[in-house]
Amino acid sequence: MIFAPQVIVRLAAIVLVAVIVQLGFFSHLEIAGTVPDVVPVFVVCLALLAGSLPGAAIGFATGLLVDSALIQTLGASSLALLGAGYLAGRYRELFEIPSVLVPLGLCGSLTAFAVGGFALIQFTLEVDAAVSALVLRDILVKSAVNVVVAAPVWFAVRRALRPALIEDRPLRRRDRTLAPLRA
Amino acid sequence: MYRRQVRRRRVALALLVAASLALLSTYFGESAGGFLHTLQRGALVVLGPLEEGANRAFKPASDLIGWVDDTFEAKGRNQRLEREVAELRGRLAAAETATSENTELRALAGIAGASDFMQGRERVTARVIGRSPSVWYSTVTIDKGSSAGLAVDQPVLGGGGLAGRVSTVTRGTAQITLITDHTSAVSAQVVPTGVGGVVRAAVGDPDDLLLDFIEKGRRVRKGQTVVTSGTRSEALESLFPRGVPIGKVVEATIEEQETYQRVHVEPFAGLRDLDFVQVLVPAGSGGRGARADREGES
Repeated sequence: MIFAPQVIVRLAAIVLVAVIVQLGFFSHLEIAGTVPDVVPVFVVCLALLAGSLPGAAIGFATGLLVDSALIQTLGASSLALLGAGYLAGRYRELFEIPSVLVPLGLCGSLTAFAVGGFALIQFTLEVDAAVSALVLRDILVKSAVNVVVAAPVWFAVRRALRPALIEDRPLRRRDRTLAPLRA
Repeated sequence: MYRRQVRRRRVALALLVAASLALLSTYFGESAGGFLHTLQRGALVVLGPLEEGANRAFKPASDLIGWVDDTFEAKGRNQRLEREVAELRGRLAAAETATSENTELRALAGIAGASDFMQGRERVTARVIGRSPSVWYSTVTIDKGSSAGLAVDQPVLGGGGLAGRVSTVTRGTAQITLITDHTSAVSAQVVPTGVGGVVRAAVGDPDDLLLDFIEKGRRVRKGQTVVTSGTRSEALESLFPRGVPIGKVVEATIEEQETYQRVHVEPFAGLRDLDFVQVLVPAGSGGRGARADREGES
């Protein structure tokens, strides 16, 4: 990805939209007794396009925004989403993404990682109340919902960042060059 | 070259992790008036209107999804409500008799005034514009703040029972910590027996509250109502007025009562799908925000 200033502005806008849509819409839904959390999907999709270090930075910034908007313990979401963003970006650097199923799978598994990590942070930090086993159901349902949500988010994020994507550029140029020959 | 890149990446990652840990420890160490808390309230001021706008824009879609969900649940809920109506008719008759006796006895004993928890208070109705998706935080954001007379620690009602208390206030928004949040503890009693205890949350299950620390040797039965006890000691006064309904005892086994001194309570307020809440403010303070400003932002 080419990190021009306008691309960074787009990244920031996507993160802001993700947080606002989460708080204003998804947080008001309930699916199988669980409130969906689509923020990790946006972080994973952005990290898959941007790489490990930008992915970690995007996760950190998104977590900071979520914690600030919800008056939660600052740093907890940042740490969980930072991990998810880094792992997604690292996957992109080490492996190819041959099909759209890969981002979907990664969104599901890294949501479980982020939500589970957040739970672990909360559990070790400050909880002195009883913890229900339904916390596990919460992690599973959130991950399953995010696999479904991942497809439209993946295409939307790719479309929004297309000018900055390196792998899309040569393809388009080659197509244009070969067009007269094909004709 | 490659090694340097790897090293640079590791250093940057370590810095981000260190920044997160520093934020966590600083946040825990500082008071509610500290720098990071003030920064959060500032973020809430900026993001509050955006949340409200998104909430209004997406309302038809979320209502549609809610309607589909409700339709699936409606049949089971209807049967349960019919059973509850039959049970409540019997209890209403008993309650009316008790109220009438209470009025007569109060007159005989010369006790003035009613024990209504609304005495000296008025309700400010607010719309829920945001909520935490995490089971570890049961909080909602509402579209009223100190300008409507809200202040920190005021009780909040929602859908027929106690919902929580105001935990953060800005001029136009406020955050409510629900009774299902793990930081919440409400002194309560079972009516009509008067068995006291503390209502606490079970993280991950918003339909299950625990009435903890109930007195030994006193029995609580399934179906009994739990209300706030409104403790009025000089050392530790309850934030909630006496008599606000909290929920109904749904599980009260002898073993659990004797071993753990607790029973399970289902909250009256539908805390999973709150759209509107009512904040109890001191009578006459609604609409005036000077006092609330001072308290909420201190």
